[in-house]
Amino acid sequence: MKGISYLFLYIPICLVILLVLEACRSDDAGKVVRRSLSNFGVLTAVLGVGGIVVYVINRFL
Amino acid sequence: MNPGTELKVVLVAAALAVIVVNLSLKKGERRRGVAFAAAWLAPGAGHVVLGKWAKGLFFFVLLGLTYLAGLYIVGFRTVSFDDNPFYYVGQYGSGLTFLLARVMSEHKAFPRPELHPSWFDPGLLYVCVAGLLNVVIMMNVLDLRVRPVAAAAPAPPAAAPAAEPQATAKAAPASGAEKAP
Repeated sequence: MKGISYLFLYIPICLVILLVLEACRSDDAGKVVRRSLSNFGVLTAVLGVGGIVVYVINRFL
Repeated sequence: MNPGTELKVVLVAAALAVIVVNLSLKKGERRRGVAFAAAWLAPGAGHVVLGKWAKGLFFFVLLGLTYLAGLYIVGFRTVSFDDNPFYYVGQYGSGLTFLLARVMSEHKAFPRPELHPSWFDPGLLYVCVAGLLNVVIMMNVLDLRVRPVAAAAPAPPAAAPAAEPQATAKAAPASGAEKAP
């Protein structure tokens, strides 16, 4: 677990990038946070599904 | 890379970018050029120059924390150009990170002892991304010039002329329909 602990560093850097990008688009703080979180959810879901697919391919195929 | 040469290259490139941006701006928008230059020097400074204090402070705190977090992970020794040019050049995006990189970079960076070695590369990535995101913020300073013009446009006069084309547009198909048969 300690060997892959660096993967958790993905969360803050991804949120920072999305917050900066959304803050450049909008002045509404609530909208910036909402859209950043929703985009973060989508990105994380894509990453998770991709990881599962790669794991399944490597494990069973 | 020779530190003297590197400093000259970065400063000349920054000066060229500021000159090109200033030349492309109109006479009444010289303040944007100053804001663009300030935005390179420190994250959020450009927004402060344009009067957007809250957003400027937000960018400064956000990128500052990211940069500090990255520095903490790598033990406050940023990477040198010879060690990893990609992570090092990423810090050129902001004058502040560039200055700190010159002051704190060591020939061979190494991970912080109490952290797992696998955290080292993400730490360098944090430092690099803090600089690169400042380029996005600099571009946003230039993009801001469009918004006050659109916001300053009075709504009622804009709505009144828009009603006429709609009326003619509605009338046109009717007349066309009359002509069609």
